Amino acid sequence: MADFTATVHQNEFLPDGGTDVHGIVSVTCSGAGTVAPMSSASGESGEIIIVDVSGSMDVQGVQAAAYAASAALDQIIDGVWFAIVAGNHEAALCYPNGTTAAMARMSPQTRLEAKRSLQRLAPGGGTAMGRWLLAAGQLFGTVPTLSKRHAILLTDGANQHETPDELSWAIEQVRGRFQADCRGLGAAWQVAEVRRIAEALMGTVDLIRTWDGLPQDFAQLMQQSMGRGISDTQLRVWAPQGAEVLFVKQVSPTLEDLSGRRVEVNALTGGYDTGAWGDETRDYHVAVRLAPKAIGQEQLAARVQLVVGGEVAAQGLVKARWSADSLLTAQISPEVAHYTGQTELASAIQDGLRAKAIGDDVTATSKLGRAVQLARETGDEAATSRLARVVDIEDAATGRVRLRRHVDKLDEMELDTASTKTTRVRPQ
Amino acid sequence: MTDAPDSTPDPTTDGSAEEPEPFSDGPPPLPRPMLVLDGELPDLPDAPAAEPVDHGTCRCGGAFDADGYCTSCGEPRPDPRHHFTAHPLPELAAVCDRGVRHADNEDAMAVWGERDAEGGLRAALVVCDGVSSATRSAEASLAAAYAALEVLSTSDAPPQDRLVTATDAAAQAVARVGVEFPESAPSCTFVAGVVEGSLATVGNVGDSRAYWMPDLGQPHRLTRDDSMAEEQVDAGLERSVAEAGPLGHTITRWLGPDAPDHTPRVATADVSAPGWLLLCSDGLWNYASEPVALHDVLLAEQERVGTDPLALGEALVAWAVSRGGADNITVALLRTGGGERPAEAGRAAYPDSVPEGTGQTEMKPADGAGQDGAHG
Repeated sequence: MADFTATVHQNEFLPDGGTDVHGIVSVTCSGAGTVAPMSSASGESGEIIIVDVSGSMDVQGVQAAAYAASAALDQIIDGVWFAIVAGNHEAALCYPNGTTAAMARMSPQTRLEAKRSLQRLAPGGGTAMGRWLLAAGQLFGTVPTLSKRHAILLTDGANQHETPDELSWAIEQVRGRFQADCRGLGAAWQVAEVRRIAEALMGTVDLIRTWDGLPQDFAQLMQQSMGRGISDTQLRVWAPQGAEVLFVKQVSPTLEDLSGRRVEVNALTGGYDTGAWGDETRDYHVAVRLAPKAIGQEQLAARVQLVVGGEVAAQGLVKARWSADSLLTAQISPEVAHYTGQTELASAIQDGLRAKAIGDDVTATSKLGRAVQLARETGDEAATSRLARVVDIEDAATGRVRLRRHVDKLDEMELDTASTKTTRVRPQ
Repeated sequence: MTDAPDSTPDPTTDGSAEEPEPFSDGPPPLPRPMLVLDGELPDLPDAPAAEPVDHGTCRCGGAFDADGYCTSCGEPRPDPRHHFTAHPLPELAAVCDRGVRHADNEDAMAVWGERDAEGGLRAALVVCDGVSSATRSAEASLAAAYAALEVLSTSDAPPQDRLVTATDAAAQAVARVGVEFPESAPSCTFVAGVVEGSLATVGNVGDSRAYWMPDLGQPHRLTRDDSMAEEQVDAGLERSVAEAGPLGHTITRWLGPDAPDHTPRVATADVSAPGWLLLCSDGLWNYASEPVALHDVLLAEQERVGTDPLALGEALVAWAVSRGGADNITVALLRTGGGERPAEAGRAAYPDSVPEGTGQTEMKPADGAGQDGAHG
C-alpha cells in the first residue's frame, strides 16, 4: 500500500498585526505500485489515446502518430481498459472498431488488433479538440468500474473548427472525468489553447518538435501513467473560521494554480483534485489570511491533507504564532521565497511572450528581462538557456536584455510550454 | 488475459501470430468507415461523505481534531495541565488553573477522601505552587503534591507526624525532578490538610494557605505565610500594603534546592461545624486575602452555584480569572459538618463590592515576580 508523507516549510512567526501566512507543503508518495490491472477494490484503469488525423497532419504525420500510438500501446499493462480516438473536426472511434461506443481490455490479442486499426488512419478534415475530449469522456463512461482515467492527446494545429467558447464548454463538461497529457507537434498549434486543456484536465503540455520525437514521448507518458497506481486522490485545505484562503498552488514539479479547481468539502475546507499519484513528490504553496491575534497567541492557519479514497493519507499543518521578536518574524522561509520566485518567473515568461506576439516590444523586453533576472536568482539554468534563445542577455543580474531579431518559433513555443516547469529549492 | 473483452467486436480476421507486424507491409490499407462518437456523457457518481471522530470541544464550540487544533477556529487544544480538577467525594474537590497571564500552570493539587465503616470522614488535601523563576517548577509542584498525598492517604501516624513525613516526601519529589532535568532548579510551596472526623490538621511551607470558614461565626486563616510580606505585617505594616508591595510575593521558605528548611508549620482546627476547609494558592488569595473577604467571595459564589465543591471551586477560579487571573489559581475545598448550606451566614447579605480594606490590593496582581525571584 502506498505511503504518503507531508512536510511543511514555513515561518510561522507573524509580527504584531500580521495577517498573511505562507507555507510550502511537500507531499511525497512511495510504494504507489502500478495501476490495478484487473478489477480490484481500488478500481480499474483506463487509457485513451487521441490522435490528430486532421488534413494538416498529412499522410506522413498520421503514420508517425499511429506509430507513436502503437508505442504507447506497448506500455499499457494487460487488463487495463483502452481505446483509440481519431480526431479531426469530428471524433471517430479507431479502436475498438465496433458500432457502439466502447473500450477494450488490453491483451496481446487486442493490442495487435488496435495496432491494425491504427493502420486504417488517414489524414483529412479539420480540428475540433472539444469533440475529441467529449468523445473520450463518453468512452470512459462506458466502463463504470474505472477509478483512474487518463488520456494522451496529440494535436498539430489550432482548434479551427470550434469557437473558443465551444472548446471551453467541452472542457467544462469533461473536467474531473479524466486526466489528459497534451502534446503539440510542430509549430502550428497554439500553446495557450492546449495549456488550457491540460490545466483543466490535470495533465502536462509539451512541445514535440518533429515526428521522430513522438514515439519515445508517447511511450514515456504511458509508462508514467502505468506507474501512477494511486487514484481517487484529493488535496484538502482547511482554514479557520473567518480566514481567507488567498491561493492554493502546486509549485513543483510543475506550476498549477489549483485555486479555481476548489470544490467545497465543508464550509471551511476546499478539495482540489490532484489526479493519480506514482512514487513522486509534489509541492504545494498555500497562503491564508487570518485576523491578527495578540502577541504570544497561536492559531492553526491551514490543515493541508492528501486524501485517498476519502481517507486522510498525510497531513501538514501550517501554523501562525504572533511574536514581538523581530528576529523571528522577519525571516522568510527559503522554500516560500524560491517558489514565489519561480511563480513570478512563469508569469514573466508568459506575459513577455504574449506581449511579443502582439508586437508590444517594450513590455516584452521588460517582462523577459525580469524573467532572466528571476531565472538567475532561483538558479533555474534550464530557464536561462531557453530564454537565451529568445532574447540576447546583456546583464542577467539587472535583467537587461534585447529581443532577438530572428527567433525560431519552436524555441519560443518551448520557452512557453516549459515556463510552468519549476526547479526544486537548492540545498542550503 | 484470458477474458477477451466482450465489448470488442469479433472481426472476421482473427489476430493470429502469422499476421505481419503492423507497419511492416508498406502503406496502410484504405480506411474503413469508423464510428463517429457523439460525445454523450454519463452522470458522475457522488463523492462519499467522511465520518466525524470526537476529540473534545473547543471553547468556541468547535470540535478539536486529532492534530490538537480546533476544526473551527484553529486554536490549539489546551494542555490538560492548564486546567484540571479532582472530585473524589461529594464533599471534596479541587480545581487547578493556569489563569490568564501565565503561559504555563505551575500550580498543582491532589486530594483524597473516604468514609470509614461508621461514616466518619477521612480526607487529605494538598496544594503546591511552583516558583516560576525556577525552571521545571510545573513538574516539581505536581510531583510534590502527588508524593505528599501518597503519604497522607496511606499512613496511620498521627496527623502532625504524617504532615512532616508528607512534606519530606514532597521535598524529595521536587529534588528528583531536579535530577531528571539537570539544568533546572525547581521549587514550590506546600500546604496540606488532613481531616479525620472533626479534626483538621494543616501544615505549610511558603505562602499557599489554608482557611477554615464555618457557615456561622468567624472565618480563620489557619496558616502563616513564609513570606517577606508576613514579616512586614509582623513589623507593623498593613497587610494589604505589604502583600501588594515589591516584596509581597517573596517567599522565605520553599521545597527545593537551597531551601532553609522545609519543616511544615502545623496548626489544627475543629471542623465539626458546617462550613468549608479551603486550601489555595496565592492566585486566589491575591484578590481576597483577609479571611472575611475571601469568605464573602465564597458565600457569594455558593449562592450562585450551590454547595457542590467542584462547582464552587470552578466558580472561585472563574472569579479570580475575572479579577485578572494574574497568577495560576488553585483551590481545594472540603465541605464539613454535613450542613447543606449556611442557614444564616454571619454576613448573609453579600456586598456588591469586595469589602473595604482589600479594595486596593485585589486590583493589583502580583507583578513582582520578575523583580525579586518571587514565585508567580
